[in-house]
Amino acid sequence: MTEASRIVVDGRPMPFHPDDSVALAVLRAGEHPHHGGTICLAGDCGNCIAEVDGVAYVRTCQTPCRPGLVMHRHPAVGAPPLHPAVALDTTTPPPARRISVQRSRAEVVVVGAGESGTAAASAAQRQGRSVTLLDGGQGMEVVAIYAGPTVIVRTPGGMAHIQAEEVIVATGAAELHPVCPGNALVGLVTANAAGQLHAAGVDLGVAVAIGSPPEGVPCTPVSGRLRRFEGHARVTAVVTVDDDGGERTTPCDTVILGLGRAPRDVLSRMAEELPVTVVGPAAASFPLPPAPDAGTVCPCSRVDVDDLASVWDRGFQELELVKRATLAGTGTCQGSVCLPHLRAFIAERSGQTPEPFTARPASRQITLAEAAAGVHVDAFRRTALHDEHVSLGARMDRFGGWWRPWHYGDHVAEYWAVREGVSLGDVSTLGKILVSGPDAVESLERLYPVRVADIRSGRSRYALLLDEGGHLIDDGMILRETETRFALTFTSAGAAHAEMWLRDWIDMWGLRVHVLDRTMSLAAVNVTGPLAGRLLERVGLPAPPRFLQHVHAEIAGVPCHVMRLSFTGEVSFELHHDVHRSVELWRALLANGSDLGIVPHGLQALQGLRLEKGHVIVGMDTELDSTPRRLGMDWAVQMDKAEFVGRSALARTAGLPDQRRLVGLTMPGIAPTEGSPIWSDREVVGHVSSSFTSPLLGHAVMLGWLKRAPFPDTVTVDGRAAAVVRPPFYDPEGSRARA
Amino acid sequence: MNDFVERRIALRWHAPRRAYDVLIIGGGGHGLATAYYLADRHGITNVAVIEAGYIGSGNSGRNTTIIRANYGIPEAVRFYQHSLELYQTLEEELDCRFMHETKGIMWLAHTETQMRAEGARSLLNLACGAETVMITPLEAKELCPQLDLSGGGRYPVLGASYHPAAATARHDRVVWGYAQGAMRHGVHVAQHTMVTGLQRHGTRVTGVETTSGPISAGVVLSAAGGRVSTIAAHAGVRLPIRTHPLQAFVTNSYDFPFPGIVSDTELLCYVSQTERGQMLVGAEFDAQPSYSQRSSFSFLQSCAAKVTRLLPFMRDLRILRQWTGICDISADFSPIMGQTGVDGFLVTTGWGTWGFKAIPAGGEQMAQLIATGRTPALLEPFRLDRFASDHTMADPGSTGTH
Repeated sequence: MTEASRIVVDGRPMPFHPDDSVALAVLRAGEHPHHGGTICLAGDCGNCIAEVDGVAYVRTCQTPCRPGLVMHRHPAVGAPPLHPAVALDTTTPPPARRISVQRSRAEVVVVGAGESGTAAASAAQRQGRSVTLLDGGQGMEVVAIYAGPTVIVRTPGGMAHIQAEEVIVATGAAELHPVCPGNALVGLVTANAAGQLHAAGVDLGVAVAIGSPPEGVPCTPVSGRLRRFEGHARVTAVVTVDDDGGERTTPCDTVILGLGRAPRDVLSRMAEELPVTVVGPAAASFPLPPAPDAGTVCPCSRVDVDDLASVWDRGFQELELVKRATLAGTGTCQGSVCLPHLRAFIAERSGQTPEPFTARPASRQITLAEAAAGVHVDAFRRTALHDEHVSLGARMDRFGGWWRPWHYGDHVAEYWAVREGVSLGDVSTLGKILVSGPDAVESLERLYPVRVADIRSGRSRYALLLDEGGHLIDDGMILRETETRFALTFTSAGAAHAEMWLRDWIDMWGLRVHVLDRTMSLAAVNVTGPLAGRLLERVGLPAPPRFLQHVHAEIAGVPCHVMRLSFTGEVSFELHHDVHRSVELWRALLANGSDLGIVPHGLQALQGLRLEKGHVIVGMDTELDSTPRRLGMDWAVQMDKAEFVGRSALARTAGLPDQRRLVGLTMPGIAPTEGSPIWSDREVVGHVSSSFTSPLLGHAVMLGWLKRAPFPDTVTVDGRAAAVVRPPFYDPEGSRARA
Repeated sequence: MNDFVERRIALRWHAPRRAYDVLIIGGGGHGLATAYYLADRHGITNVAVIEAGYIGSGNSGRNTTIIRANYGIPEAVRFYQHSLELYQTLEEELDCRFMHETKGIMWLAHTETQMRAEGARSLLNLACGAETVMITPLEAKELCPQLDLSGGGRYPVLGASYHPAAATARHDRVVWGYAQGAMRHGVHVAQHTMVTGLQRHGTRVTGVETTSGPISAGVVLSAAGGRVSTIAAHAGVRLPIRTHPLQAFVTNSYDFPFPGIVSDTELLCYVSQTERGQMLVGAEFDAQPSYSQRSSFSFLQSCAAKVTRLLPFMRDLRILRQWTGICDISADFSPIMGQTGVDGFLVTTGWGTWGFKAIPAGGEQMAQLIATGRTPALLEPFRLDRFASDHTMADPGSTGTH
């Protein structure tokens, strides 16, 4: 025999025949794939599980042999170890195995290719329906049936996800295992397994049969009721009890057990309420076995009848409680072996036969890698300028679902470029939604707490977006283009939700408005700093718009929607443009501003710049229940408007005493860590939501929440006194942004 | 036998009588703990707990057994810290072993924003009496050697907040321990008794209608999970609650050390090892509200993909079982405990995905409220009327991972 036809079992080569399963090859060699227990060779029990090619808990009877396959037995006691190199590896993770996923559709999926399964498949085919027949014998292991119904299958070639219209479960019935003393010995096989072993030419030695013997397998039938198996490690005799109570001991090498069957119904029980039909023995009812009085009931979790009796006698008197108190039915086979015996045990004691416990995935196990095959969870968007940032040395960070530059090496230099020169920021990530149609004004009046109708074309207004509770969910600009057309901006993290929000409300109101989300098609660059206007003059905009105005113009040859606003506190122009022209525009701006000291700024600098102006960042300075009043932004709400989302809640709560305020805080020296508790009278009264050591002011500035009224004038943060002030901290008149 | 067969606890059942001083709907952790503390601390023993299924059949027996106090608002930190401390001596008090093990939880951060949030969490926790500190990636690696600090090349670990007092315990046994404790004091616990309505006299709730007949009571407390909204509706109480499915899965048992709890603030999943050596993985609740306990493959797929990025050794572990509980999420993500505005009817609800860790404190404080008629200071922030009075308790710390 050549190496090519051997597997390796616990380090020893072992020959196999073509078509042998791993379990069969091991049994052929006169060994047991586990350490004992009845062998069924049908994939039902956990008595043949072993580690195969590094994956533990594999049913070896369902695993075909192939040359070089490595099997390790689980330990006789306790759980299998992980190979130390894998479990505790501190440097390199194990190589990812490539697992393919086949996705398909079928009108009918038939699980099981036995008599009832093939009959059901043929019948469906005759009706002209497309059928996928899943044959366990061909290694198609059905993991679970999920809603859809979706059938998840582990196949020899990888994973299969099948969308079905109907699933027919034709899984047949499983043979009962014996429960009596000695039932964990080697040498016990079910009738079906005995037939397979005999057909494969495996020598069973002196074989005796209890119950219905298999056809064609040489064996001696033993009458009477099964009492126990005798032997040390291997069975040497079976003891039965006759009707008159006399015990009879029959010496043997193998005991063949034809004890009856139970429906193989894990899948059908899992799929209740789904379009699933159960046919054949899987749908039949079989008598329960006699109530067990001794021996191992649940081989997977090693639960004995004594254990069941022990918890029963202490009040755990129903199936679920017995299961949870003993762990019976919670191992690899998920109760396939023990459930009939558990039910018989309870039926005898309580007089009522309990329903089976809930079946859940997985019916056949898969690894996490197999579950994860074909999944992409790492969808973080890049702006059109991503590579530009990287080539400029940016440290990229994920924020609001996007990769964004955190800094370009020196966030303080970036800060000063904005305050004293000119700087670029990539704001392509902002939500950008176009709203147009005859009811555009009406829809926005109802969505926003600010007045919209009086925004003139070419002008814009800052707006909060509130939910029905009057809580801030986003903010941005409303820019009027024409009578019936508005460009809206939203925060980067809030854009996706804002789009749904708009569409939902507009649909509900039945207004004639088109909503076009241009977040991904438009890029945007913020040109900001006192020299921003001079830079724009050089690239084709001799008369930049004034504060809160916006125009369409070509900048360095790129058509742009130019919006004059300010988040940084300095003169700022947001240039919204086609993503495909973004690199060209960015490079032209940098080139034309080089003698002005232009550098791009990242998020880190931006968060300090805006904080000096007291501008909140939604989600950072705001909380889930932040109302405009709490944010000190009542000025952005027109309660005299007839209706807008959140208005009734704001009207209701306006008169209630409130204990929360977002306030400005200043203190000398370095800024405390963001999140620092705010103390007053030795109690925590709030926390700092943003902090920044202002290079320009030379002291710390903060936004923070006070959550206990009356609000104090001075508080303690980081062990130091801080003054509660009204932001902005920088240029309170806003003259710089308007310059 | 295995090492995990329950060998101490004994339960004694009763058919419900027609009247009690206190009737508790829901034989989960909160209901049974409240009954226990009523009897043990306040001598109120004419108490019944009625349970629609078997005890612990709801979320008490479906959760991921994590006990921690690293919440995001002072009121919550104080409450859960108290609960965490009660848990530390509870095995002795209840004379049972529920395998309480202090193992520490780390919340990994991969971005500057997450680092900032975790830094804020640790400072707030420290200020409110719960220990949470920031740790470096290397310290995280020391605590959990299996961690891939590159996050599969996509989620590099920048740091983590670490809450060393976090623990796990066997959930069923906590339920049984409280049941046994209550039963020893003479509390009646009746299973398979479902509430079909509430008895009212004038504006007062005076008892319940059940599938086993009517039971009158001086006080009715709903400690039910999942369908609490329908029970409260019988009393005319509208709860700001939505019920969402929450899924989890567990692998087979393996023999290797994984001593801590790893939670991820970006991937929104968390991993611990059970006493049996299984790896237990949970995530955020499903976005779509539902009463369904059906599991989904998309959950298993995405969760497995995420967790193997952090812990690549788990790729080849086999998944044993996947399951789903349904959890009541309040409008501000904080629990709702106490009076409802209807005399004789109280609730403890809104336990979302954080109910297990709150069982001792929730039970103790609700018992005190029932016994004294006054809302204890720890419960004050979580009253139902906070929604009407606009004192909501939005907790950024509870909306992350659990």
